[in-house]
Amino acid sequence: MLKWIQVLWPSFMVAFVATVFFFTVVNPQELYLLGDPVEYSPIATYSIGFFGFWVVCAASSLISIYLEPPSKRGS
Amino acid sequence: MADPANKPSPDKAAQGSDSNPDTLYASRKKLQVRSTSGVFTNWRWAMVWLTQILYYGLPWLTWNDRQAVLFHLTERKFYIFGWVFWPQDVFYLAILLIISAYALFFFTAIAGRLWCGYTCPQTVYTEIFMWIEEKIEGDHNKRRKLDAAPMDARKFMLRGAKFGAWAIFSLWTGFTLVAYFSPVEELLQALTTFGFGPWETFWILFYAGFTYVFAGLLREQVCKYMCPYARFQGVMFDPDTLVVTYDEFRGEPRGTRKKGVDPKTVGKGDCIDCGICVQVCPTGIDIRQGLQYECIGCGACIDACDQVMDKMSYPRGLIRYSTENALKKRWGMKEILVHVARPRTLIYGGLLVAICIAMVVGLATRTDLRVDILRDRATLAREVEGGLIENVYRLQVINMIEEARNVTISVSGLDGIHLDSDGLAALPAATTESVTVQVRVPYDAAEPGVHQIVFEVVVDDDPSVVVREGTTFIIPR
Repeated sequence: MLKWIQVLWPSFMVAFVATVFFFTVVNPQELYLLGDPVEYSPIATYSIGFFGFWVVCAASSLISIYLEPPSKRGS
Repeated sequence: MADPANKPSPDKAAQGSDSNPDTLYASRKKLQVRSTSGVFTNWRWAMVWLTQILYYGLPWLTWNDRQAVLFHLTERKFYIFGWVFWPQDVFYLAILLIISAYALFFFTAIAGRLWCGYTCPQTVYTEIFMWIEEKIEGDHNKRRKLDAAPMDARKFMLRGAKFGAWAIFSLWTGFTLVAYFSPVEELLQALTTFGFGPWETFWILFYAGFTYVFAGLLREQVCKYMCPYARFQGVMFDPDTLVVTYDEFRGEPRGTRKKGVDPKTVGKGDCIDCGICVQVCPTGIDIRQGLQYECIGCGACIDACDQVMDKMSYPRGLIRYSTENALKKRWGMKEILVHVARPRTLIYGGLLVAICIAMVVGLATRTDLRVDILRDRATLAREVEGGLIENVYRLQVINMIEEARNVTISVSGLDGIHLDSDGLAALPAATTESVTVQVRVPYDAAEPGVHQIVFEVVVDDDPSVVVREGTTFIIPR
């Protein structure tokens, strides 16, 4: 449980900041997905973007935990 | 002072010895917090009302026949009362974040975790959820008994009522959050038929779920284990920072005694060791062990202890807002207040004021017309009838206010340069209008090559609103 929180919570916070920053700078209507313009509604694009960031950040946290020296690892 | 807030005291370490030695996390004991009343509790409730009236109320206000505060994601426009902010205004958002950060530094340096104790949504919603809990399940003693009791019809009813009330409150909180991003009238219509869009449904449930879990179930654990600010707030403290403090000199040695007994005659301090300060603490710590990183600075223990001191006819303030220096040097309130003005707070305060002024000036002098120029990419330059060279541009003219306006576009920078048209354009309220213009120059006006030219866009009714934007004109060989 602790590990899940250690992976999911920091990545959630960073994903939130990243989403706000990214979509402030980039208009989702100007994005292309596999060569075609994105046709989802803006709220869908923002939401998918947020989860995309979350997954990427969580992957990073997961590897951090995996690479942690065993002596420091919580049981 | 080397970060005392994050250093566990020996007592704390001993207390945590029942937990797993490999982790710093003690297994949680469910807290049933005793409610209290007094000055600081009143302040906290005042902040609960203030922040929540704002939060739940703002989406319902109208302004200029639209929602007063709406972060319209579809239109990529933020409406805040009379203002309309565009993605180009991200600068102001950055300034706002800087102001928030400095305000946090400033207030933390002066009086510790004021944010945590009074305005943090985690504190505010926990307060509301605990109020609901107390109304349904009774006070902390009754709740503890209920926790221990086996599940029967009564417990089932009480738990169901509590969870139900929390859920309704959470759903309303989630609905309100989405109402900041999606027009509230549309949401309200959708509410009558439960016909929300899939993502709106998702975000309402997502935020409602977060509210429910954080304020109802996790509570102080969010502050202790999840909040980044709680971990680094210690570095903003110094020996002159006002924090919730137990006056050890006055209180120790603690112990029970009969009412009306002068503590000095029985060799005791003012602390009667009733433990109420621990019972009212939302994070379950004992403030008498000194400053601890779990302390959110809510002041509940101050209110509780003052009541006990009143009952014992001792002076109030055995637990009070004080500073490390004040306690050591036995300062009074006057000296504490004198030490509020010190380099750290003056620098934070000065920067805060300066940035706030910059923000206000920036907003007041913000041009409500913006022009972006894009060259036509298909043809850089071509020759047209009459020996003229023509370049084509697309002007993105953003009318940032909610009022339709007419503008006149003109161009300068080369001899004989002119537009092919009259340069008039009508801009609907708060829109981006794309205007294509042909700029022409006599063939012999300048050498072949790239030349700087300037577009000027003037509002017809108010010539003081003018935007000049430079670009290049190409004369081919």
